[in-house]
Amino acid sequence: MISPPLALIAEVTHRCPLHCVYCSNPLELKARAEELPTGTWSRVFEEGAELGMFHVHFTGGEPLARNDLAELVSVAHSLGLYTNLITSGIGLNEKKLMALIEAGLDHLQMSFQDGEERFADWVAGAPVHAHKLALAGLIRASIGLAFTVNLVAHRHNLDRLDSMISFAESLGPQRIEIANVQYYGWAWKNREWLLPTREQVKRSVAVVEQAQERLKGQIKIDFVPPDYYATFPKPCMAGWGRQLMLVDPSGSVLPCHAAAVIPDLHFENVKQKPLRSIWEESAAFCRFRGEDWMPEPCRSCERRTLDFGGCRCQAFLVTGAANATDPVCSLAPAHHLIEEWVACTNSAASTAPSSTLTPESELPWTYRPQPA
Amino acid sequence: MTMKALSPASHPRLGIGCRVRKVENGDSVLLLPEGILRLKGTAAEIIQLCNGERTVADILKAMQVLYPSVDPQQIEQEIESFLNRLLERRALDFQ
Repeated sequence: MISPPLALIAEVTHRCPLHCVYCSNPLELKARAEELPTGTWSRVFEEGAELGMFHVHFTGGEPLARNDLAELVSVAHSLGLYTNLITSGIGLNEKKLMALIEAGLDHLQMSFQDGEERFADWVAGAPVHAHKLALAGLIRASIGLAFTVNLVAHRHNLDRLDSMISFAESLGPQRIEIANVQYYGWAWKNREWLLPTREQVKRSVAVVEQAQERLKGQIKIDFVPPDYYATFPKPCMAGWGRQLMLVDPSGSVLPCHAAAVIPDLHFENVKQKPLRSIWEESAAFCRFRGEDWMPEPCRSCERRTLDFGGCRCQAFLVTGAANATDPVCSLAPAHHLIEEWVACTNSAASTAPSSTLTPESELPWTYRPQPA
Repeated sequence: MTMKALSPASHPRLGIGCRVRKVENGDSVLLLPEGILRLKGTAAEIIQLCNGERTVADILKAMQVLYPSVDPQQIEQEIESFLNRLLERRALDFQ
């Protein structure tokens, strides 16, 4: 008997006014014309609630790009689901915010690309920071909405993490999430420009620990370190097909944000199959569920129940084999690929201190485009 | 602004964005923005008492009355550590 999923990640659109260089969306973005209509999403939430889920995480793209977002939140809320909106804030105004709160929105997570406008707009590829600041004031003033500020960390802002935390603090959230870039989607494409150095990571961990101590009981700080510097892999998605389902804008159901990179996986669609059968029986969800797929050293490793062999998409991107041990693991046969990458980043940084780009530098990276 | 540390006179209540939901087997879960906490044993009873009106001292007393055969000091320690853990997760607020 397979335990039911805990949460649905509802990727309601790939449209987004931002063009962040580390966007986790797939390189092949779904067009507006492919997006599921309101009624289909409502049915998906009903099936999710019936399956025993607790949370719906509304994400994108930018979920606010959909005009029916408050209606979708209302449907999920009326089914008893906890509703979480993950947003850049662009598209929000006082009226829309009130409509979302009335619809039953439980929590809003707003991402900031930096604490400083010129860096933030540079990474987002759009002049949006000042507008987002104004919106954060609106959220703080609204009663009853839980608020998290999300900051994405990378080589070009990690040295300023202390001031970024002060910035996030000034926005008045209950939580701050500092997430290092994970190398999937557009971030994988731009990884050469984003991976921090070992020294930067070491200093940032100390900065976070100090802030956590200082803000204990007031603001909860969650920190996602860059796993390229870890000894063991992250328990990606808490294990493949163990807790989470992601429905993309067109209705394809994936075990995670990035799974579409794995070439021989076929994803079922909510238009053809109910969520329960996709969760319990679909080939994509069964493929890396449990331990039967595991190679050595995972298969006999005592950590296999903690990290579930790490991330399948990372294994594929780095080694070319989706069933390989996650190469960030120090025990992985392909760990040398990560070590070479890390060594290259660190030696370039030590010979060329100017390897940190600034908004005035020539732009070497690829911005995420708008889908059709 | 939230107070930093619990005291017997604090009035705890569930944090903003946190709510309790019953599940099929009669147990409760605490829904948080980033996940869930399954409330085992007396955890659900303690959380129910955190209504913003009772003080930590009131909650201790109520639980000591509910469980007269358990060492009152043990109850005190367990409740304090439980409430502190919730506070660190921002699952509790104080008035």
